[in-house]
Amino acid sequence: MKTIYKKELARIFKDKKMIFSVFFLPVLLMVGIMALVGSLSKSEMEKIQEHKSIVYMINQPDSFAQFMEAADFNISVKDIATDAEFENAKTKLRDGDADLIIEFPDNFDQVIASYQEGQDVPQIKTYYNPSEDYSSSAYETISTQGLEAYRQILLSQRIGDLNGIQIFTVNTDNPDMVVQDDQKASGKALGMMLPYFITILLFAGAMGLGVDMVAGEKERGTMASLLVTQVKRKSIVLGKVFALMTLSGISSVIYIVVMGVSFPKILGGDSGLNFEVTVEQIVMIGVLLVAIAFLYSSIIVLISVFAKDTKEASTYITPAYMVVLVIGLMTMFTTKDAGTMEYMIPFYNTALALKGILVNEVTMAQYGITLGVTLVLGAVLTVAIAKAFESEKVMNM
Amino acid sequence: MDQVVEINIQGLSKVYKLNKKQMQESHTKNPKKTAVDDLSLTARQGEIYGLLGPNGAGKTTTLRCIATIIKPTAGQVYVNGHEVQKEPEEVRKCIGFLTSDIKLDPQFSVDYMFDFFGELRGLPRQKIKERKKELFDYFQIGDFAHKKIKELSTGMKQKAAIAVSLVHDPEIIIFDEPTNGLDIITARSVTDYLRKLRDDGKLVIVSTHIMSEAEKLCDRIGIIIDGKKTAEGTLKELLEATGAGDLEDAFFEYYKAAKGEA
Ligand SMILES: Nc1ncnc2c1ncn2[C@@H]1O[C@H](COP(=O)(O)OP(=O)(O)OP(=O)(O)O)[C@@H](O)[C@H]1O
Ligand SMILES: [Mg+2]
Repeated sequence: MKTIYKKELARIFKDKKMIFSVFFLPVLLMVGIMALVGSLSKSEMEKIQEHKSIVYMINQPDSFAQFMEAADFNISVKDIATDAEFENAKTKLRDGDADLIIEFPDNFDQVIASYQEGQDVPQIKTYYNPSEDYSSSAYETISTQGLEAYRQILLSQRIGDLNGIQIFTVNTDNPDMVVQDDQKASGKALGMMLPYFITILLFAGAMGLGVDMVAGEKERGTMASLLVTQVKRKSIVLGKVFALMTLSGISSVIYIVVMGVSFPKILGGDSGLNFEVTVEQIVMIGVLLVAIAFLYSSIIVLISVFAKDTKEASTYITPAYMVVLVIGLMTMFTTKDAGTMEYMIPFYNTALALKGILVNEVTMAQYGITLGVTLVLGAVLTVAIAKAFESEKVMNM
Repeated sequence: MDQVVEINIQGLSKVYKLNKKQMQESHTKNPKKTAVDDLSLTARQGEIYGLLGPNGAGKTTTLRCIATIIKPTAGQVYVNGHEVQKEPEEVRKCIGFLTSDIKLDPQFSVDYMFDFFGELRGLPRQKIKERKKELFDYFQIGDFAHKKIKELSTGMKQKAAIAVSLVHDPEIIIFDEPTNGLDIITARSVTDYLRKLRDDGKLVIVSTHIMSEAEKLCDRIGIIIDGKKTAEGTLKELLEATGAGDLEDAFFEYYKAAKGEA
């Protein structure tokens, strides 16, 4: 078994191209994609902030013009008067050439000034295009926030002392408003993504290698040369599964380290991710990762054993990969705390536990169950593989 | 080791189940293909036994059954007294098997593969070194021992495969068409080595469809046609029985007789 194991590792490590494609290429790709996404969304945000909003005004009252000037919004105002101009502005809005239209009633200032109790209050209408980022942002800042502030000003002019009508305020002077465990918060962010990435990366990494180790070996006709030696089938299987486990384990560790280092940087320096893991957490994650790698390796080897060649093996494995992907996604989006029962479900439980460890939510019993279920399933599959090795049909002889 | 060195095959049959694609390819509706049909033979220590037969006769299938790569459908195969289905590991220990569809990993050097299989065969390091020196010297592998298998020519690959299959100095050597694809010089070195192995007291069983090779190399020849053993004996016996001048003529006599019956 040791000899087989050593050979499989040597196969990878002796080949610089292999080392690169197994360990570095995926990491580079990942970091590249994340950096790209990060910088794109960042520059998108900057662009929106820099953008001078184009706002069309109908019947703009003087008080609002003054307010806008004082508030110093980054906008360029165009006054329009006729219906034709209004229609034209709407078309521009639809095409993304304008960001917002604000329609005041006639003589807004006078109506406000001469208001008497019981009269209809005037209505301001705003128009925007939610499918345009610029327009949405203009709506948010000007229509929602700006007009609210404007109303406050007008209100204080009418009433005098606003406190007279303000029964209470909410959080106007409370810097400690957000009460959360920093550890838990950043753990949550990581916890959402980490299990997902780990499952995918581990599986994807093991997939290509595993297919090559078994189906590839059948295809090349090198498997039979192992089978004529007195080495036990079980040893061949274990050698291969463990080699695969080691390799995928190493690559996933590299992934995690690289991600841990580059993730906060990519997302723009200090993104509040002041995350500290304890030694205990690291050990727990590490042990669990080994178990997951074992399970995945055995799945991949099992499927590869039944495939005639590498192409067939990849085809068969893809659905399994999909399942793992979906399960990963599921844990990413479930927020409710998982009960112990859920830790009995293979695959799902590992993702849950990974997340649970990061947010300090998993109990030792749940962790133990997860580990046990994963290892037992992996062992059962490994026995099945060894059985399959005995069959000449399966081995394509 | 006071055990007998021999291969004893009793009523061996091998029926392949064909899948749909294979059935289409061979234009048959019968999902079963009898490759070896009630074959019995005994090969003993110190002889080179040759299985001679046309393409598709079942030579490779027979050898694979002996080598425990496939399981017989019926009959028993004893290798040094161990039955291939009951004690496959014991059988594997004492055989060296070579066939064209068993290959060495192309990513590795001959040197590495030799060590690898030496270890798999459970040999101590020192022993592997000795065997390597002997076999590499004999087959002149030294020159390309550190090249990857995929960079070797067909002949070099075959030599490498032969060397690797003999790493554990097996008592029984099973070679399926060992000179296939080799030039006459290399082929001669292989057959010479097989003679040396026989003289060292090993049992060698080879398959071939090359008459001249069978004539010169084999001490006894079993002629297989359509999975059945049609004749067996030394070259002299076969020639006498058919009154033919050489093995080729004798072979055709048997072939006609077998086909005529069918
Ligand atoms: N794996 C297999 N599945 C189905 N049929 C097979 C299989 N292997 C061999 N056969 C069939 O069994 C028969 C005997 O094949 P075998 O390889 O033993 O012949 P052979 O004597 O070695 O021929 P050759 O001289 O061409 O090597 C052939 O008809 C072949 O088509
Ligand atoms: Mg053959």
